Amino acid sequence: MTFKTLAALFDELPLHDGMTVSFHHHLRDGDAVMNTILEAMEERDVKDIHLRASALFPVHTVAERLVAAGRIERITTNYMNGPLALLVSKGSLRGEVVMQTHGGRARSLIDNERPVDVAFLAAAAVDRDGNATGREGKNPFGSMGYAVEDALHAAVTVIVTDTVLDEPLTNPQIPAREVDHILLVDAIGDAQGIMSGTLEMTKDPLGKRIARDAVGLLDALGIFRDGVSFQSGAGGTSLAISAGFNRILAERGLTASFFSGGITRYQVEALEEGLVERLYDVQCFDDVAVASLARNDNHIAISASRYANPKDPERIIKDLDVVILGASQVDVDFNVNVTTDSYGRIIGGSGGHADTAEEAKLTVIVAPLFRGRTPLIVDRVRTITTPGKDVDCLVTERGIAVNPARKDLQDRLREQKVPFFTIEELQDICHRFTGRPAETKRHDRIGQVESRHGTEQDTLHKIKGE
Amino acid sequence: MARSYLFIPGNVPRMLTNADVFEADALIIDWEDAIHANEKDEARELTTAYLESHRPEDTLVYVRINSEAGLIEKDIEALRESTIDGVCLPKASSSVLARYEELFSDKDPYPVIALVETPTAFFELDRIAAHEHVFALFLGGEDFRTAIRAQRTENDEEILLARSMVVLAARAQDVTAVDTPFTSLQEEGLAADCLRAKALGFDAKSAIHPDQVATINRTFSPSEKEIRNALRIVKRHEEEESMRFSLDGKMVDKPVIERAKSLLEKARLYGLLPREDKE
Repeated sequence: MTFKTLAALFDELPLHDGMTVSFHHHLRDGDAVMNTILEAMEERDVKDIHLRASALFPVHTVAERLVAAGRIERITTNYMNGPLALLVSKGSLRGEVVMQTHGGRARSLIDNERPVDVAFLAAAAVDRDGNATGREGKNPFGSMGYAVEDALHAAVTVIVTDTVLDEPLTNPQIPAREVDHILLVDAIGDAQGIMSGTLEMTKDPLGKRIARDAVGLLDALGIFRDGVSFQSGAGGTSLAISAGFNRILAERGLTASFFSGGITRYQVEALEEGLVERLYDVQCFDDVAVASLARNDNHIAISASRYANPKDPERIIKDLDVVILGASQVDVDFNVNVTTDSYGRIIGGSGGHADTAEEAKLTVIVAPLFRGRTPLIVDRVRTITTPGKDVDCLVTERGIAVNPARKDLQDRLREQKVPFFTIEELQDICHRFTGRPAETKRHDRIGQVESRHGTEQDTLHKIKGE
Repeated sequence: MARSYLFIPGNVPRMLTNADVFEADALIIDWEDAIHANEKDEARELTTAYLESHRPEDTLVYVRINSEAGLIEKDIEALRESTIDGVCLPKASSSVLARYEELFSDKDPYPVIALVETPTAFFELDRIAAHEHVFALFLGGEDFRTAIRAQRTENDEEILLARSMVVLAARAQDVTAVDTPFTSLQEEGLAADCLRAKALGFDAKSAIHPDQVATINRTFSPSEKEIRNALRIVKRHEEEESMRFSLDGKMVDKPVIERAKSLLEKARLYGLLPREDKE
């Protein structure tokens, strides 16, 4: 059914205390849907809400308020930052927070773990049959990759949109048969907000140095060849690495097989220049990617399951050669933390970090050796987002470390006369600038980091003083 | 023998801490133009603390002090116990150098990079270059342009004479010639400017941004072809035990052999020799 008011829709929904509601984060910090829905749930006095959102951003102020009021009892998400993350870190959530991975979330939805009662999914447009897409409409955001499993496996699926198309959609990302209701709103959000959290290529000389050395490392390891597959993030240093990667492909007349993950204009340019055959897009990071997805058949929208679900036999990342990832902390066993800061405050989450690190043939972490007086390399990371067994190399501005488990990589670098350190040596260099940080005390448990396979990987603790 | 001299503001902790990462052969920590009058004390304190705890081992470190009376005294006092390789003395002149020397009653003055940027300096360039403590002449093109009221031209023709005079004086007194920085971050322009400076005879160039260092180092390094040629000259010289011989139909004599040896020394310093010639 199609509803023009929230009240009419909510009269039809099976609302109850303790219900699980899900949302995707394709509109990132421009999302208006979650706030609208949560306010309506508050008006209907729904209590003990379990919020399952693929990611949470500062724009989600209503969630913050409902956590503080105790109305949201639990949160399961893949990424969280801003005031809401701080509130959760302070232990304000009555229940537990579970930090999943993108692939792990898809797997758990399919496996019916923490089942979703109602999925409220923003779509940029629907046609008159109820097929939904992210590509057209007033606020296009591109791929709907993180919404597909919600639509397929939630008890009730509501598409929230601001655009109804007269022409039928030939290639909808969510087909009408998976949609129970459509809610028409004035605006699903601000599509410009999808660019939040992403950056231009770094102009910082340190970031450039790290990018240059990372590309040099890939070259020394013999990565550049026809058919190579590659994934990198949307941070400034990652984008500089993507640009360097593309430049070498172009100089040597090589063609990569695919780039995957979140897609930016840099990957789109590579596709259009014939440097890569296909883009597998689970999330568009900018308007250039959104436009490309709508017009280029080799720019392919994929679901989170097809992207990274460890149980999906067709998952894209099982064929991934190289992934470049960031870190807020790395420890001497190569465990990586991108979930919390060194005090345990939640500042992000895995997203696809742990998924791609486990599957890619080569996982390279890039990060500055210290930020202010905070060291990158520690004896034990505060929170394990990605286990060290899945991490191969660390590139910093002051040198490279290679996981001793990858003797093959170490041998190759020795052959190529590329210097590298042990991670303990890099840690010593780091401590010359920062000193050795004092161990921070862990307080009460507030939740867990869940591995992509569904096991508890690490515990999240309340931050000090609350 | 440095190829690149990178300016680092003396009051920015992150830039100081990471200064050695940018691969410049030499750093010039700036206490002069980049530092507002109200922040000079802070720059002195920050720089001296940095030099005490994190002075890079493999990079030459200089401080561009102030030459004005009232500031130069404080700068030298702040550097009294420091481990710097020298100072960069702005608005260099015989009188500024004399004042600089007077401030070292109890120890030898630090070696000086003389920053020549005033019209009068060019009328005593030879004396400045010949000064006991001066080991490099550094053209300050921006201030010089302003001082002579020149308009910037596409190929910097307005400073061509000054550039050539700096190189001539440097060669005459056997000191290093360092070219003025390229003030844009446009890479092609920088590469062309480096080539012009190298062609005029400069030994090195200054950089105002870390991004400029790689291009400068590349330009002021001996090329593979130059290294190969120098190796052949020195080898032939050693085999024949002669200071005068013919190679590829050209006469090779003492100055050519000495230039070849000097070039190979620079190549060795920067790890550019072919593997078998490194030992």
